[in-house]
Amino acid sequence: MFKMSEYAFVAGLLAAGLAFACYVAGMVLARMQANRPALAGAGAGGGTITVSGSRAAATLATYGTLIAWLAFVFLAASLIFRTIHVGHGPFSNMYEFSVAFAWGALGVYLYFERRYHLRTLGLVVLPVTIGLLLYATTIPSAAEPLVPALQNNLLLTVHVAVAIVAYGSFSVAFGAALLYLIQPETGRRGLPRPAILDEISYRAVVIGFPFLTLVIVLGALWAEIAWGRYWGWDPKETASLVTWLIYGAYLHARVVRAWHGRRAAWLLMFGFAATLFTYFGNYFFGGLHAYAGLD
Amino acid sequence: MSQTARTGTLQAAQDPLDDIEGELSLPVTDLADRLWHLFISMRTGLALLLFLAALALVGTLVAQAPPGIAGDPAAYQGWLEAIRPRFGGWTGILDALGLFSVFNSIWFKGGVVLLSTSILACSINRSPLLWRQATRPRTTVSESFLEHAPLAELLDAATTPEVARAALQRALAHRGYRTIESADGEAVALYADRFRWAPFGTVIAHLSLIFILAGAVLGQAGFRVEDLAVAVGSKVAIGNGTNLEIEAVSFSDSYYDDGRPADYASHLVLYENGVQVAERTIRVNDPLRYGDVSFFQSFYGPAADVRVTDSSGAFVYESGVPLLWRSNDDTKAIGRFALPSQNLVVYVIGVASGRVDPAIRPGQMQLEVYQGTASTPTAIEVVDQGQPVTVAGLDFTFLRERQFTGLIASRDPGAPLVWLGTLLLVGGVALVFFFPARRLWARVRPISGGARIQVAAITRHDVTFEAAFGSLIEDVRAGLDPAPSREG
Ligand code: HEM
Repeated sequence: MFKMSEYAFVAGLLAAGLAFACYVAGMVLARMQANRPALAGAGAGGGTITVSGSRAAATLATYGTLIAWLAFVFLAASLIFRTIHVGHGPFSNMYEFSVAFAWGALGVYLYFERRYHLRTLGLVVLPVTIGLLLYATTIPSAAEPLVPALQNNLLLTVHVAVAIVAYGSFSVAFGAALLYLIQPETGRRGLPRPAILDEISYRAVVIGFPFLTLVIVLGALWAEIAWGRYWGWDPKETASLVTWLIYGAYLHARVVRAWHGRRAAWLLMFGFAATLFTYFGNYFFGGLHAYAGLD
Repeated sequence: MSQTARTGTLQAAQDPLDDIEGELSLPVTDLADRLWHLFISMRTGLALLLFLAALALVGTLVAQAPPGIAGDPAAYQGWLEAIRPRFGGWTGILDALGLFSVFNSIWFKGGVVLLSTSILACSINRSPLLWRQATRPRTTVSESFLEHAPLAELLDAATTPEVARAALQRALAHRGYRTIESADGEAVALYADRFRWAPFGTVIAHLSLIFILAGAVLGQAGFRVEDLAVAVGSKVAIGNGTNLEIEAVSFSDSYYDDGRPADYASHLVLYENGVQVAERTIRVNDPLRYGDVSFFQSFYGPAADVRVTDSSGAFVYESGVPLLWRSNDDTKAIGRFALPSQNLVVYVIGVASGRVDPAIRPGQMQLEVYQGTASTPTAIEVVDQGQPVTVAGLDFTFLRERQFTGLIASRDPGAPLVWLGTLLLVGGVALVFFFPARRLWARVRPISGGARIQVAAITRHDVTFEAAFGSLIEDVRAGLDPAPSREG
């Protein structure tokens, strides 16, 4: 099972990379063809190039989506095999959590892609996924027995599973906000309309914020059961509070006229930075949250 | 939405963003008004949220003084010196700003108080409006609203107004809308809403934070003992205003093959006023609870059973002494007990596990007896198990080696309020986001050759409504077109 999990992981990583390559190629092709209107109108030959070019771009993009789904399935399989192998939810060390985070980001992305038919978003979110998977390859993947503090399986599993949804949503919100920020108010050709991106960000946060709230509450509950206090300003807890406050601010910022639009999008940049900071926090601060992969 | 609805003229399709800030209208007359408007302003709320986020970020980036030493100036100075190399010239500045204990600083506490005030004000400000919208919504709107609302659609159909109305009703019912119809001249005005109570989710979410904060404040009345070491076979008083004593009946630890701890468990018996009130085996993540006092498994270590008798053979002391501390070189485990009636303090020193010491062999303990606050011991004796030694007219016997279990004891009277608050927070937030409240207005009237349907709504900042509105209109349109199959 361990081997199967590793194979599925590698397959997932490769598929994610390939999907990204397809998106990029499709995008470049679509651009090249969009930038040649003169040629396209010049004659029959030019016209043919344009038609086949745009068809190729569409095909590539479709393959990209297909392969991204494949990556999602591979990663899911990897997590399932791992669960069978270790006998508990695959959420107990940085390796497992990174794969799960990558899987969550990909899953939420695919959900939004289906809804909005916007592959451009993948150009930002897939690198996040790939980055997390590459990061996972740098840390030991060996399964280790759970130390007593982590032996509260139900709470641990739910706490982290919920975190994956939240983090995945924030990755998508980040992707949309980034695409929003790199274009002028009026939009730029080849990129999704700012209004749509704003909508996607908001939708993603609307999913992510309640889930993040739940992550923190479950974490507090667990801290109470394990250490006798629901909150202790442990750096990991504090970082998650920072994240929560930023996304809370975002939800309110959208309603303040001077803040909606660019500034709100900037909040999502900071929010995602805070998310990553919370996630990788163990490298910056020593807290009670000990992940086996780190020590 | 607030201002327009409040004044009962829901007509101008003005930017709904304005009303929420609540700072458009009402001449500001006096200080109270000014303050009120400051606190209900979303801008203020936003600024406070970001301010607290920034402070919390400081709290993760700048080393925070351990809670124990805050009230001990000497210990705090020592800690400052220890971190000075890391922060250099900034040490003094950060200290003066209170940033080494951010969460106890005036900035943080002040920010939390202002935020709570703002949240309270916002909730008070909005609740009557939400109540009115849920219970007595405005069911008719003006012509100009129907035409110029942010979301406005006009459908003409070659059917009777009754058919048009039915199509509209069907599409709304299909989506779970509640509708209220009223006659409006020869037209029919229609108001529809869905999840009309859900906006109270924001009120619930906002007030939940007040509960949580109140719980946190109330929790200050409790206590927390983090280093409660109880030797197996011994009883320790909890103090802190309780009459509780905890006894460790047994302790067991087990390990994985690689030496990592797999499990540790303590069998505890709790006494109140000398009477047993609770008994339980606790482990990590599985505490003993009695009323609002809880005991958590935290750590463990070696202990030594020691007996002290006076010259007549009467017991002066008999208990397990947890060897709670380590010597600086980490080779010895050290415990301590006091004999107040004799004005003696006794240190019990054993070899740390895994170490060897030529002076203290297995089965031996070193005893150091100090008179009062003297800094040099009256006697240092290495004793064999079961062999008494006489110091200061008392017989000291090291009876046997034991283990101690390290517990956290805590009482948090605010916790129920905090849990209630978190429940409300999660519930409130879920209510807002997973049950989006929707309202729309419509009018169906006869026109020559058919009927006209107008549907209008305010989007606020709820972008998801736009798509839903569009699909609703599509449905109505489809419902209006006489289906070919039905005709044929
Ligand atoms: C940590 C603190 C806070 C939390 C967790 C919180 C939570 C929320 C949530 C979840 C919403 C729904 C947002 C949406 O529909 O997109 C909301 C809306 C709102 N919040 Fe807060 N809030 C906080 C602080 C504040 C403060 C300080 C104010 C007052 C200045 C405020 C005023 C409002 C108002 C007026 C709305 C309604 C907006 C609308 O109806 O569209 N909030 N809040």
